[in-house]
Amino acid sequence: MSSTPQEHGVGLAPLRQRKERRYPTPPDGVQTDAGAPIRASSLWRDAWYRYIRNRAAVIAGVAFLVLVAYCLIWPIVSPYDPYAVDFSQASDGPSLAHPFGTDQFGRDLFTRTALGGRVSIGIGFAATFVILTIGVTYGAIAGFLGGFVDNGLMRVLDALYGLPYLPFAIIVLAIFGGGNFWTMVVALSIASWFTTARIVRGQIITLKENDYVRAAHAVGARWLRVLGRHLLPNTLGVLVIAVFLELPGVILGEAFLSFIGLGISPPDASWGSMAQDGYRAYRTAPHIIIVPSVAIAYLILCANFIADGLRDALDPRTRET
Amino acid sequence: MSALLEVRDLVKRFPVKRGLFFERTVDYVEAVGGVSFDIAAGETLGLVGESGSGKSTTGYCVLQLMRPTSGSVRFEGRELTELSGEELRRVRRNAQIVFQDPYASLDPRMTVGNIVAEPLVVHDVGTRRDRRARVRELLDVVGFDPVYVNRYPHEFSGGQRQRIGIARALALSPRLIVCDEPVSALDVSIQAQIINLLKDLQAEFGLAYLFIAHDLAVVRSVSDRIAVMHHGRIVETGLAKDVYERPKDAYTKALLASVPVPDPARMQERKADRRKLQSAVAM
Amino acid sequence: MSAPLLEVRDLRTHFFTREGVVNAVDGVSLSVDRGRTLGLVGESGSGKSVTALSIIGLIPKPPARIVSGEVIFDGRDLTTLSERQLEDVRGERIAMIFQDPMTSLNPTLTIETQLVETIRRHTDVPRREARRRAIELLDEVGIPNPDARIKDYPHRLSGGMRQRVMIAIALSCEPDLLIADEPTTALDVTVQAQVLDLLDDLRREHDMAMIVITHDMGVIAEVADEVAVMYAGQIVEHASAAALFARPEHPYTEALLGALPQLEDHASRSGRLTAIPGRPPSLLDPPPGCRFAARCLYAGEPDGCAEHPPELRELRPGHLVRSEHPASERARPREGAPA
Repeated sequence: MSSTPQEHGVGLAPLRQRKERRYPTPPDGVQTDAGAPIRASSLWRDAWYRYIRNRAAVIAGVAFLVLVAYCLIWPIVSPYDPYAVDFSQASDGPSLAHPFGTDQFGRDLFTRTALGGRVSIGIGFAATFVILTIGVTYGAIAGFLGGFVDNGLMRVLDALYGLPYLPFAIIVLAIFGGGNFWTMVVALSIASWFTTARIVRGQIITLKENDYVRAAHAVGARWLRVLGRHLLPNTLGVLVIAVFLELPGVILGEAFLSFIGLGISPPDASWGSMAQDGYRAYRTAPHIIIVPSVAIAYLILCANFIADGLRDALDPRTRET
Repeated sequence: MSALLEVRDLVKRFPVKRGLFFERTVDYVEAVGGVSFDIAAGETLGLVGESGSGKSTTGYCVLQLMRPTSGSVRFEGRELTELSGEELRRVRRNAQIVFQDPYASLDPRMTVGNIVAEPLVVHDVGTRRDRRARVRELLDVVGFDPVYVNRYPHEFSGGQRQRIGIARALALSPRLIVCDEPVSALDVSIQAQIINLLKDLQAEFGLAYLFIAHDLAVVRSVSDRIAVMHHGRIVETGLAKDVYERPKDAYTKALLASVPVPDPARMQERKADRRKLQSAVAM
Repeated sequence: MSAPLLEVRDLRTHFFTREGVVNAVDGVSLSVDRGRTLGLVGESGSGKSVTALSIIGLIPKPPARIVSGEVIFDGRDLTTLSERQLEDVRGERIAMIFQDPMTSLNPTLTIETQLVETIRRHTDVPRREARRRAIELLDEVGIPNPDARIKDYPHRLSGGMRQRVMIAIALSCEPDLLIADEPTTALDVTVQAQVLDLLDDLRREHDMAMIVITHDMGVIAEVADEVAVMYAGQIVEHASAAALFARPEHPYTEALLGALPQLEDHASRSGRLTAIPGRPPSLLDPPPGCRFAARCLYAGEPDGCAEHPPELRELRPGHLVRSEHPASERARPREGAPA
């Protein structure tokens, strides 16, 4: 609801009474007063082009998308029931009918891997999202407010930093009982957001010094607007990279917790729980543990290369032209 | 009749912090040490000085972008140092700023149109359509083709960006604009365009300028009156003509003598003068 | 009249980028005699820095390359030398100082280390002798208490001091030619004056030739004997400093001088500066004819200078211009309003 001009004394009467200003046309009519933009491009498109030129990043990107597609689609179209037990087929190695082989219960591993992928990747992204939310909020507040608040928040963070996330994760799971998607998410994120908070705080502090932030203050923008409209959007680049950097850690975390039996437990599939299944049979049927392990490694590799590619793409100064 | 802007004994000190755990303030750096001046409506006061003289800090303190440590800033009769929150925001409409760095003063993630419209949005002026029309008008007035309203700042050159910044400063029809080194980052031929633009705008809208710069020749071409700053204090004030032709302060004299003039014939004379004056001020 | 110390013939340096080829330096010829100062003046994008870097082979080799031309220094063509041979020339025969002394000096090494290292790279003297020479140099460039300050790190010195240290390093091996790229742009006006005076004195004492690159016409007037004005990768006017300021010929030079706010101009507050409308052309796709035509008051159909690039010709002895419409040949000025 806009206020009336009279109340605030800012009229929208035309700036000038004279008629239209004409741009002078110099010979050739080429450049007017200010002229056309000197380079037509968008920040994202430039970044995209830089990303594309990084072969490893492109391959990793495609590989990642293929993996996600596989996890989402295959369980729907698969002829096998991932939970059906059939001991006649138990512990078979890879074959045409079962590209990844079967586990001790005769379940098709190709299908279970896809299913497990949904859970593992799902937990991975969800936990990463939570990490980012907490980290960004904490870091943004500290960076933006500065002074005492920043000092206090950072000292608390320093103290928390030394705590390894694993005991925390285990405690959470012990209290709330493992095996649940959301408890896993909480367990993995509760003690993993410290680095993100630090990064965001640093970024905000740097950005705060920019003239355009001062300009927003000069114009009378309230702090919420400055934060939301000027500071956070400009940290987007850093955040996108942070997502792909946090992801491997979270995936491994989930795998580990499930492996030691605290996380997702059978018969539900996650790569970690599948590894737990396969652990006992590794001497006779190694493929049962190898398959989920390779899947985890694959995902982590992709995430790392993507993060690398993104960082180079979004910050051209790190590369040689 | 009181002036548009009255600054008295403005002081700005920055704390120097030390400490491992919790930082303590151990000392102060005095950037501005008691500065006083007036600006009348429609006039330009040139604030000139070298780096570290405190001129930019003075400009920020006048607009309360940095809060002065002490002193008084009266704008349109109101004491700005006592205002905050909504009241200050309302006053902000009448005093704006143009920054030095055309590359850092525009948010790279906003379109040109949004940048210029921001003041209007922040103060909730007009409808969307009104604002769009106003933005076009503003861009037109500064010589920027309104057709490019949806482009991003990085697509434009320094001079073009500076025009965008000026359009933004004009959006709320301010009475005073603080120009913080507005042409220092631009090439000479573009500088001239922007200087001419600023002069035209002043004539047309009756703007007052606090023109901060280190380039003495540039300041001369836009200012009615000049104040020379050195180490946080004003060492000389007066009409532009008087300060440039009959400087009284030793520092002002040395400063003027140091500026290279594009005239080789006069160069030798100036060199001799300069050596004498510089040793007098013991640079 | 001996041969010039440095002669650049038709130098072309191009940058090969993703967007295309940028003709940063497009056919530049100039020469510097021993003991004289050449001022190379132009705005950003004119190619003046790239020219200087090309002379001593410091252009970034992947995107940039000297595609043609010669750089004859004391009889040898520098463009044909290997990197190793160039390294020998650099510092010893040709020295260069840059605009921002903070980034050109290594912040983690003391002044002593940097100076002594340079001296010993090019001359075979023992460390003690090099140190003595270093202190001598610091004194010469006007650093007070040189034996104490030599132990300082760059960040403890002011901008002007750092620039003096840079000059000392440049002088340490008695080069024949000093190239100064915007040596005073980052300095305060008072310090600038001192540094320029210093350069001039040193040049005379050591009988050095100097190329000063700048965008500031005032600096040119202070130190240059001869001036070459660059625009869009080419030299558009070349004359002695006195002649250039007294009788500029090229429309760009005239406009540039007209656009300068004058310190001692009585009418300046009310008057307007002569602004040059528009912007320099993109070097990715330079215009076919005269590169200044789009902004020139005198470009016109009859001569087709917008289609056919004018050559650099000698208007008067020692005064070269690249234009169909130099000031002295204009019968009457065209009607054109400066913006």
